[in-house]
Amino acid sequence: MKPESENFDKVLNLLRKSEPILYSTESIEKEVIKRVTKINRSGIKFSEVIDFLFSWVYVGWVRRSFIAASIVLVLVFVYQQGVILKRIDVLGRQTVVSNKESTLSPADELEKLLTVYKNSGRLFPSKTITISERQMKELLESVKELQIKYKDLEKLIEEDPGLKKNIEKKLIENNRTKINL
Amino acid sequence: MKRRPVKLIVSLILMIIVSCNEPETVVTNYIHTDGSVTRKLEMKSIEGDVNKRFKISDIQVPFDNTWAVKDTIRLDQKGDTTWIKTAIKQFKNIDELNLTYKSDSGANKNISRQAGFTKRFKWFNTEFRFSEKIDKELSFGYPVKNFLNNEELIYFYSPEDLKNTKESGPDSLKYKTLRDSVKNKTDKWTEKNLVSEWIGEFSKLTAGKTGNDMTRESLRAREDEFVKITEKNGNKLDSLWKNGILLKEFIGEANALKYKVEADSALSIVTKDLFIDFSDYSVRIVMPGKLIGTNGFIDSSHVLLWPVKSDFFMAEPYEMWAESKIPNRWAWIVSGLFLVFVLSGVIIKIIKKD
Repeated sequence: MKPESENFDKVLNLLRKSEPILYSTESIEKEVIKRVTKINRSGIKFSEVIDFLFSWVYVGWVRRSFIAASIVLVLVFVYQQGVILKRIDVLGRQTVVSNKESTLSPADELEKLLTVYKNSGRLFPSKTITISERQMKELLESVKELQIKYKDLEKLIEEDPGLKKNIEKKLIENNRTKINL
Repeated sequence: MKRRPVKLIVSLILMIIVSCNEPETVVTNYIHTDGSVTRKLEMKSIEGDVNKRFKISDIQVPFDNTWAVKDTIRLDQKGDTTWIKTAIKQFKNIDELNLTYKSDSGANKNISRQAGFTKRFKWFNTEFRFSEKIDKELSFGYPVKNFLNNEELIYFYSPEDLKNTKESGPDSLKYKTLRDSVKNKTDKWTEKNLVSEWIGEFSKLTAGKTGNDMTRESLRAREDEFVKITEKNGNKLDSLWKNGILLKEFIGEANALKYKVEADSALSIVTKDLFIDFSDYSVRIVMPGKLIGTNGFIDSSHVLLWPVKSDFFMAEPYEMWAESKIPNRWAWIVSGLFLVFVLSGVIIKIIKKD
């Protein structure tokens, strides 16, 4: 065992004496420090994220391409909006006709408007309201029911002169406008 | 309802079967972003006989029993009854709509009509175009814009109700003068079309015949002369044609005798094309999104309107079109973010450089 231990010591001493020749100690030092600090760090720094995101600014051709694409986007936007505004301006001067000509529907104007709304989707974007088909049907049915009830009532009053007289009297008493039933 | 008769062929006009059962029809197309179309027909009739009222053969546009129908009756103060039939049908796409035009058995079945729809993605917006086109009837006619100025053209294509309102409004005198001017000019236009079409058809029929020294170009060079002759002879035109006097004046005695059959055939073709049996109606279009262009009239509920009359597609195709757009919000956001990103990068570069 002894000679083995002696041999080990000899080798160790020999290795200690033969030190490696370092040509760039500074760079090695920097690299070691960088790696040590990297290990000790707990999270990603914001500045690094920014550096990563905007690393392209240091690559000339990428930077120039992105700037060119941005300019193209702005120009396309300005051109398209300009053309659209011009066309809308022309439309504003176009002849407007009355509704009377354009439709044959009878009194149920509400139904027509609702049908237009339902079918045209985003026809009136500035005043968009969202109602379900069920709600619209309910509304239409309510209006129709009301119209039928109103007509029935009108008929009932018309057929009964006493009732007609009483209602007219009540209306005058209440200072309401006298209606011609 | 029918195209205005011209003196020359009054007798032929009388031969046209005039149906009195045609309803007053308004067609409304609701265009959807996926290219589907909801079509609504509103037909008004005062015909009392239920068997004659709203017959498919009398209706101006394709209609059959696959439509959802609603019937209403309107009684006016005088006690007159008007029957109104409202029909709605959903078409999956333009092809389906065009198929109905091809298989139409209605009052205007002989007219070639087709609809078109295009959807164009333009990054910031998606643009939609819908059109209904009626093919022209005459092969050798002149466009009406060659005869009318801009103001007269607008009046010519205007809906009847708008014309009536203007003629009874504060500028009634101006519009009555405009109406008379349009009438005179369109009469001349019809006469010119009649002559031009006859020359075209006659040239086709006589082309390549031995000893024929008349070419289409030589006849066309005398077109204005022919028009003047027709104008000068007024009511006598029909008898002058039958006696062959008019033809002799047009193409000379020898040619008139030689090509009488061809001349009569050409006139027959022209009258068939010029005085078509057509029933007027109105077309309305409701586009998706914001309207950006149209050649129609706009009503107070922002619905577009076109009257459809046979004069409109006599010498040139009549196209009713509308364009609209829907903004692509996502494209606006993506573009905005990209611009901010690039701008930030440029600023960072400038700061780091300093």
